[in-house]
Amino acid sequence: MKVLRITPERCTGCMRCELACSYMQTGTFQPAKSVIRISPFEAHTSYAPYTCTQCAEAWCLVACPVEAITISPVGAKVVQDDMCVGCKLCTIACPYGTIFYNPDTEKAFKCNLCEGNPACAEACPTAAIEYVEAQTTDWLGDFAATRSAGRLGLLPGQA
Amino acid sequence: MARTRHVIVGGGTAGMNAITTIRQYDRGASDIMLVSAERPYARMVLPYYLKGSISESHVYTASPSRLSALHVEAYLGRRAARLDTQASTLTLDDDTVLPYDNLLIATGSSPVRAPVPGADGQGIHSFWTLEQAQGVVRQMRPGSAVAMVGAGFIAFTILNALLSHGVKLSVVEIAPQILPRMIDQQGAEMVAQWLRDRGVAIRTSARLQAIEDAGSQKRLRFEGDADLLADCVIMATGIRTNLGWLDGSGVAINRGILVDAQQRSNIPNVYAAGDVAEGKDLISGQPAVHAIEPTAMEHGRVAGANMAGQPLAYRGSLLMNIVEVLGLEIASFGAWDSSTAEVFSATRPDRPAYRKLLWQGDRLIGAMLLGPEKDVWTSNDVGMLKGLVQTGSRLGDWKGYLQRNLFDIKRAYIASGITARLLPQTVLGSPSVPAGTVAVA
Repeated sequence: MKVLRITPERCTGCMRCELACSYMQTGTFQPAKSVIRISPFEAHTSYAPYTCTQCAEAWCLVACPVEAITISPVGAKVVQDDMCVGCKLCTIACPYGTIFYNPDTEKAFKCNLCEGNPACAEACPTAAIEYVEAQTTDWLGDFAATRSAGRLGLLPGQA
Repeated sequence: MARTRHVIVGGGTAGMNAITTIRQYDRGASDIMLVSAERPYARMVLPYYLKGSISESHVYTASPSRLSALHVEAYLGRRAARLDTQASTLTLDDDTVLPYDNLLIATGSSPVRAPVPGADGQGIHSFWTLEQAQGVVRQMRPGSAVAMVGAGFIAFTILNALLSHGVKLSVVEIAPQILPRMIDQQGAEMVAQWLRDRGVAIRTSARLQAIEDAGSQKRLRFEGDADLLADCVIMATGIRTNLGWLDGSGVAINRGILVDAQQRSNIPNVYAAGDVAEGKDLISGQPAVHAIEPTAMEHGRVAGANMAGQPLAYRGSLLMNIVEVLGLEIASFGAWDSSTAEVFSATRPDRPAYRKLLWQGDRLIGAMLLGPEKDVWTSNDVGMLKGLVQTGSRLGDWKGYLQRNLFDIKRAYIASGITARLLPQTVLGSPSVPAGTVAVA
């Protein structure tokens, strides 16, 4: 299936993905409502976008007591708003921290791959986010570990 | 060859997950009989029914058409009365005898009331079953005085719903703190303050002596404290597992039915799942009764797979709880109350936010989190902390970083490669399928 392939070395931290995502998901330009989130590394000189992997276990889906999370035709785990009661079991079950709760709507929300046309990938000016046929993997771990050495005080003269 | 006969006792989360999982594997090649005292529903969502944000029809988990699609023969309104493990037969309360090849015990828990005079009287409510929830719903009047006896997780799940009806709420708890089995004392004090600031009266170390009639109201008498008058009294004073019917059956019971990694009891064709099962705790490796929804769900799936003939070893259950009251989110995981762990904790000066991380070496074995739900980091970090505890990853130098930065979980999480460890993890050894897509062939 097509997945969001993240190449963190290309990310400039411009946040266009967060703006595009929040606009697509909620109709407002509000990064706090984005389901893809940029993290800074190496004292804010390196960045990486982080979002749902659409994992095989689907921790959120199996945790839901009312079957409000389904799998869409493009393979995304999707919250059905009319079924979600807002109990938050999914947010504590997801070990990736990629399903959220919106206090305004009292519903859970997460990446649904924009029904096969992800706004984040379209908005990214450097192709750090691409929507391609690939095997999902940990796109960020090695990058973040390397770029964080200074933050951990492992390199002299950095913080 | 004769068709395998699976008897499922209990239509809650554990039982329904077992049924779906059996059908996921066998596509209808066996007989499944479900014995359930009530029509199956999701207990977790009853608070939303009380609040009025969902209708009663929304709470049901197994419509007649779903049970039919899964080829389940349902004995609804019936209770299991006797189990004969020698003959492999289950006798119901109407003397129906069900022979089985595999039996799953998933009879859950029942509420326990405070052992004081008047606690069983008219107008004293429990909030556990759908019927009891309906009883509380009928009592909701704006401005009426509601006394909640008990301040544990169950009580807290319905505070928002009660307050949304405009009632005047008092919470009384026998322990020195609220939420005694979910958060520590410092966290509990922050939650109590949050509630008091929003008009909820809270008494801790409250020793209830009796509940008496006082005209149309109830009078709660305490030792060494003023009486409390209430129009409606709700008892949330704990639960007890439904195991009494197994006396003399030969099924080995400690705090719950002792089960192995296949959810099998000491009787090879008798399985147990959910609140009644005492299975492996993921963190301690020791047998434990969690009595929480996520454990019931995983127990049910693992039992179902093994009953369907898929040999599957369960890694163990992670204790976790999450509840939100008036916009304050409270969560804890794993060994959050360990007395031997190394502990980092921090609060924020600008808002009610508290974090506690518990360590064994450089592995996180438990966590507690408290903060306004509107804070972006709150829901983000709930899941990431769960991932850190669940994977038991060695965090190396990030441990020191987290000691200084308890509110910056994300960098440590991403850079420690937690995602790489999680991606291959599945409970059943294969991708999960939505329950609604499982049907017989």
